Amino acid sequence: QQFSELTEVLFRFLTEPKEVERFLAQLSDFATMNKISLGPLKNIVKSILLVPNGALKRNLSSEQVKADFIALGLSEEKASYFAEQWKVNSPTLTRLAVGQTLMINQLIDMEWKFGVTAGSSELEKVGSIFLQLKLVIKKGSQLENVYVELTLPQFYSFLHEMERVKTSLESFS
Amino acid sequence: QLVSALHNLTRHVVYRGLTRAEDILSLFPENFHQNLKNLLTKIILENISAWRNEAQASQISLPRLVDMDWRVDIKTSSDSIIRMAVPTCLLQLKIQEDAALCGNNPVVSALTVELSKETLDTMLEGLGRIRDQLSAVANK
Repeated sequence: QQFSELTEVLFRFLTEPKEVERFLAQLSDFATMNKISLGPLKNIVKSILLVPNGALKRNLSSEQVKADFIALGLSEEKASYFAEQWKVNSPTLTRLAVGQTLMINQLIDMEWKFGVTAGSSELEKVGSIFLQLKLVIKKGSQLENVYVELTLPQFYSFLHEMERVKTSLESFS
Repeated sequence: QLVSALHNLTRHVVYRGLTRAEDILSLFPENFHQNLKNLLTKIILENISAWRNEAQASQISLPRLVDMDWRVDIKTSSDSIIRMAVPTCLLQLKIQEDAALCGNNPVVSALTVELSKETLDTMLEGLGRIRDQLSAVANK
């Protein structure tokens, strides 16, 4: 019973690693409810967390996670329970880990507008269509906006190239 | 003075978008030499579309896309996962700063952007919508 509550708290933290304060609050609630002191609990939790983190790095299956826990001295029942939770949560955890992988100048967002150039200082009547893209790019920890203008033929060839990229990415998934 | 006058004449023709010989001929004063007038008109007409295109190309604008390249990589390992096979796209856009500001030495910068599959799908959705909007405008 206790163990399953603790496991739940642990997995909630693993799937949402930014919620550190919530995790610590839940840990101290758990400690008070079960009359354990927080210090030793934190140490135990730290060691327990090593197992899923290592498992994630090495893409271990739930049987392997269970075997690891048993080797570390956990009872069969508890290890099975943890391994089950691991199987359920591993797609989310893997996706998170992949998401943390380095990305260079990641494209975050794209906005566009298009319109017609009506006239200019050189040409009284123009009537040419332009497309303006605003790309939001993450450089390091900052966001940068890049503005680009495309003519229509450029737009169509850009669209065509991006569709080729999609086909290529899909063939590798 | 002659060059300046010629320059003004050609600029005026390009600005107004005059394409017919009569319109250009009517710009000359009454007692202008007939053959010279015809010759100038002929030369202007020959060059007019080239001049218009150039004027359009050197209009002020936001930075323009001049070229684009892409590459698909497969990420096999990182510090957070030792083995994986995640495809990702690297897109390089060559962007030229405002032509009017650069004069004869356009500054072209290369921007490399990484897109995950999800980002690419979202982007394609957006581009598809642009294409639909463009066809709707064209069909009006």
